[in-house]
Amino acid sequence: MASAVAARPALKRALPSLRSTFLPQQQQPQCHHRHVIPRRSFATSPSSRNDTQTSSTTSSSSTADRETHFGFSTVTESQKRAMVASVFTSVADSYDKMNDLMSFGWHRVWKDHFVSTLNPGFSPLSSSDPSAPQHILDIAGGTGDIAFRMLHHAHNVNSNPNVRVTISDINRAMLSVGKSRSADLPASQQAALSFVEANAEDLSLTRPLQPILSQQEQTFFDPATATSSIPDNSVDLYTVAFGIRNFSNIPQALREAYRVLKPGGVFACLEFSKADRHPLFNSVYKEWSFRAIPLIGQLVAGDRDSYQYLVESIERFPRQEEFRDMIVDAGFRVAGQGWEDLTGGVAAVHRGMKPRV
Amino acid sequence: RTYHSTTHPPPPGPFTQAETTLLTTALTTHVPNHGFTLESLHLAARSLSLLDISPSFLGPAPLARLIHFHLYTARTSSLPSLASQHADLLQGLPIPEKVELLTWLRLKQNEPIIQHWQQALAVMAQPSHVPTAVKELAMLADEVYYLAGDKSVDPSWYTKRGALSGIYVAAELFMTTDKSEGFQETRRFLRRRLQEAEEVGGVVKSVGEWVGFTASAGVNVLRSKGVRI
Repeated sequence: MASAVAARPALKRALPSLRSTFLPQQQQPQCHHRHVIPRRSFATSPSSRNDTQTSSTTSSSSTADRETHFGFSTVTESQKRAMVASVFTSVADSYDKMNDLMSFGWHRVWKDHFVSTLNPGFSPLSSSDPSAPQHILDIAGGTGDIAFRMLHHAHNVNSNPNVRVTISDINRAMLSVGKSRSADLPASQQAALSFVEANAEDLSLTRPLQPILSQQEQTFFDPATATSSIPDNSVDLYTVAFGIRNFSNIPQALREAYRVLKPGGVFACLEFSKADRHPLFNSVYKEWSFRAIPLIGQLVAGDRDSYQYLVESIERFPRQEEFRDMIVDAGFRVAGQGWEDLTGGVAAVHRGMKPRV
Repeated sequence: RTYHSTTHPPPPGPFTQAETTLLTTALTTHVPNHGFTLESLHLAARSLSLLDISPSFLGPAPLARLIHFHLYTARTSSLPSLASQHADLLQGLPIPEKVELLTWLRLKQNEPIIQHWQQALAVMAQPSHVPTAVKELAMLADEVYYLAGDKSVDPSWYTKRGALSGIYVAAELFMTTDKSEGFQETRRFLRRRLQEAEEVGGVVKSVGEWVGFTASAGVNVLRSKGVRI
């Protein structure tokens, strides 16, 4: 916890220079005039797209330069990865406080509903092994919200001690926060928990969480330092809560999910979605999102840009039907319409099952 | 689509292929023994070589989904196939008799799981599931009249189906406590209710006619006395 807190001011100072590394030179003056001209940062103009490919400091992977979106701006995949890393590093220790402020504490209800309806650890009582083992993989779950609820539900509600949870995140600062929070759990639950650094788009390269020791360290996972992997057909339940909209390449992440799940395994995703089935409610929600949330971010956390990014990324995420189709394209089978709306569509739970054959 | 066509195949129902496999196994093999519970769903998942976590893909209310599946298959596949099996029986009957026979055939679909049906009705009476249950009931009443060959296009279309919905609900509830041989008491109960509906229909019609004639006669008398109406 101390390392994350100490890292944050240093990273905030570093953020302007991070931005200048990833944006072409002519965009930098915008940072200084931000308080005068309310303008979205990270904006790129069409002419700069050629420059971004030469100025990005990325790996030699051919997909790293493929275009994707970062909020309302268009960037390459590798740029997005780095920019997302800087967003989440700067919000890591105030993440829960911000979630409470943005959703009036309702995110706890959503997460409780998500975990209880997945019912991890339940085994039929009249079967031969009423506490069958399960392996749950929680992706982008750095701070541990979902994982801790899964452990409580499996160990306490379903009395199944043979359920273990692996928390994976690309951002080491978020994982460090989760690890320090896990110290408050009972010992049996801590023993069932493991923290892993990984990029969800390639789970064959992972590393157990290494604590952040100095401020100069990179806070997001570097695949070159991988020491292990998540094997095929090894996970019963793959969950991702409020993480998948930040991925550079969502179809690739869905394919990885399909790979690591066992046949019969369940993919579950809790994510912000479109509330436009109720137009009046939707317009109020949009006003709140785009006006109030960045302002709260500015006042409470001193970080308007990160929360502006968060709100824009929600807007850019595909709608319920489209995301369901992406899940089906990855090979999963869905039930009914494939998703469940929460709070009128503000959030949605998408579920899929990997078929047997 | 919202219409029914005899020349085009029906649109896909609310249940996907994977769901259908799991729910059919649960309904036929495990619900008679364990009821409409998570136990049945998980045993069904295991018997299909799936995992314990697999029933979670069904959604937030898997039991309501299972019960809805029973209602849906009983209405859309069991009832029409039974109707064609009994086609010779049905042929000579007038429409009210056909309605009685078809409703009875549908009631018999509950036989394997009748001891758990009160529990299922309790689940479907929860406010979030009531719309589904009511819709299935309305569509069942329509299906019965359609298979009986009813071709009316007047307001009695609504009153007949509304009456049948009420009678079906009462008969189904009666059946959950019926211990007679072959549920013959339930069949008698059904016959009595349908007869009453016909009589009431006749009585309402006669009363309506009497009121109509008396009212116009009264108006004419008043006009003859010079009242300007």
